[in-house]
Amino acid sequence: MSELEADKLVDIAIARHAPPTPRWTTRLAATLSNAWYELRKSRTASIGAVMLVLLFGACIGTPWLTTYDPIRQDYRARLAPPSEKHLLGTDRLGRDIYSRLLYGGRRLVTIAVVAVVFGLLLGIPFGVLAGYWGGLADTVGMRVVDGLLAFPGLLLYLLFVTLAQAYKFEGVMIDIVLVAALGLAFMPEVARLSRGSVLAEKQKEYVEASRAVGDSSVNIALCEVLPNIVSPLIVTATVRLGLVILIVAALSFLGLGTPPPTPDWGSDLSAARDYMETHPLIAAFPGLAICYTVLAFNLFGDGLRDILDPRLAER
Amino acid sequence: MLAYTLRRIAQLVPVVLVLTVAVFAFVEALPGSIVDTLIGTEGGDVEEARAILTKEYGLDRPVYERYALWLVRTLQFDFGNSLVTRRPISTELLSRIPATVYLAVVGIVLSIVIAVPLGTLAAVRRNSAVDYTAQVISLAGISIPEFWFAILCVLLFSLYLGWLPSSGYVSPLEDFWGSLQFLILPAAAIGFRQAAFTTRLTRSSMLDELSKEYVDTARAMGLPERRVIFRYTLRNAMIPTITISGLQFANLLGGTVVLESIFAWPGIGRAIFEAILQRDYPLIQAGVLVLGVIVVVMNLLVDLTYRLLNPRVKLA
Repeated sequence: MSELEADKLVDIAIARHAPPTPRWTTRLAATLSNAWYELRKSRTASIGAVMLVLLFGACIGTPWLTTYDPIRQDYRARLAPPSEKHLLGTDRLGRDIYSRLLYGGRRLVTIAVVAVVFGLLLGIPFGVLAGYWGGLADTVGMRVVDGLLAFPGLLLYLLFVTLAQAYKFEGVMIDIVLVAALGLAFMPEVARLSRGSVLAEKQKEYVEASRAVGDSSVNIALCEVLPNIVSPLIVTATVRLGLVILIVAALSFLGLGTPPPTPDWGSDLSAARDYMETHPLIAAFPGLAICYTVLAFNLFGDGLRDILDPRLAER
Repeated sequence: MLAYTLRRIAQLVPVVLVLTVAVFAFVEALPGSIVDTLIGTEGGDVEEARAILTKEYGLDRPVYERYALWLVRTLQFDFGNSLVTRRPISTELLSRIPATVYLAVVGIVLSIVIAVPLGTLAAVRRNSAVDYTAQVISLAGISIPEFWFAILCVLLFSLYLGWLPSSGYVSPLEDFWGSLQFLILPAAAIGFRQAAFTTRLTRSSMLDELSKEYVDTARAMGLPERRVIFRYTLRNAMIPTITISGLQFANLLGGTVVLESIFAWPGIGRAIFEAILQRDYPLIQAGVLVLGVIVVVMNLLVDLTYRLLNPRVKLA
């Protein structure tokens, strides 16, 4: 019996005695309970996780959790205080604040998630390939990144918003432009982070091994190196989600986001300013909602960082 | 150090070029041409005016030539005239810079004054009540949107208590004490948020320093704890804090659009915001470019200062 055949027999024997692959539901439950076990190591992460589950639950369940149309006006019930009928009262046009909060949050969180995913999709290939190829590609790529990073604060978004206004975009188109700007602004950070991680990973032996068996360099970069740099990216993306929420809210607060009557925390807050002295609660709710959301992402992100990078958790 | 400085300045050139291309592309991407905007407001012989303006703005030439011409003029600080006020954009922007710098300087100083003692105390008394308070405050500062915080401050101090004006600006050169009452609320809004970041950073870099061996040595030699902290660890821990504050300052110079709008503060951020509302595109273009360049240069200065403060960093 040749050596090859012997190997095959061993493989078969192992396969026969291996336990059966568990069903996918069992596997999912195991993964989730593992994740929860890991999360429990950090109190901040578990508080953040619970807050996020509530947030996403409210976003998904919005149509079932609300009874009023968020843009329906009721002139007989303007500026009503919180009551059984209107849980958080009504605004200056008699619209139900509770419904507006939920629908507005649903929109805001969707925009933020799509924008961050877009930024990751732009930045990861950019950074991984720049880091992996090195040389001219790296130099040129990183200068572009530096140029994009030079736009301070809201300015990059302001340029995009101005363009959207000049083209008289409406509705979803404004959101798409906003998502493009937010993603583009997140791209340099992702590109830098993935480039740095790739430079560190490139030195390791498994990359050498893949190259030795003849893998192409793009393949190595994306299939072998990428999975190893995922954890810092997850942390950055989570913290960024909180920041993106703040940016979108600030833009619509300035009146540069989606125009009314679309429910929006930023523009509702801005509109509530005129009634602030007599009805401070109307300005309080959207602000609290923004705080809650940003806090949830920040707590979860901080906790994740501690879990994934135990050296920092010591602090 | 000189070679490093020169190399960093050389690296600035492509970054600024990317910026100029971006803002130039922004105006190119606008629908219609600038000539239509100008003619729409003036009237008269339309065809002739169109021909003259097309020539004047070089719109009959290819894009790259126009970019080169625009770049040459921009390098001479000639941004053209504002579409709204008809005055040169460079003077418009220059008159707005002092207010922004004033607000940003006071805001950053305020944040350092709050954050450094708080962060240090939190690190020295780790896991104490002070530490938890500092952490809660910094988490709150990061999560509360500054425009909401500003509104709440206005509500409390202007509307209910009537202590401070809700918005406005007086130049400190004209009336120093009068300008302070307008300054307090916006500076506090900036200071609170920036202090949140700086407190965290001070705390973690102090913890880092306190865990180092020279601290054990100093304590073993019987130095009083106060001397160990103020003379040795705090000095080292300040390096990252000062660096980050410098970077935040650079960002504030361009990032206070929201607060300047809320408090009617006549800074450069508000100038750009007003330009957006009035569709004054050349002013938007010039404003974004100027702020971008200021930020890039500030970042360079901060980086160089960091190397001076911390000679251990290899000049890579």
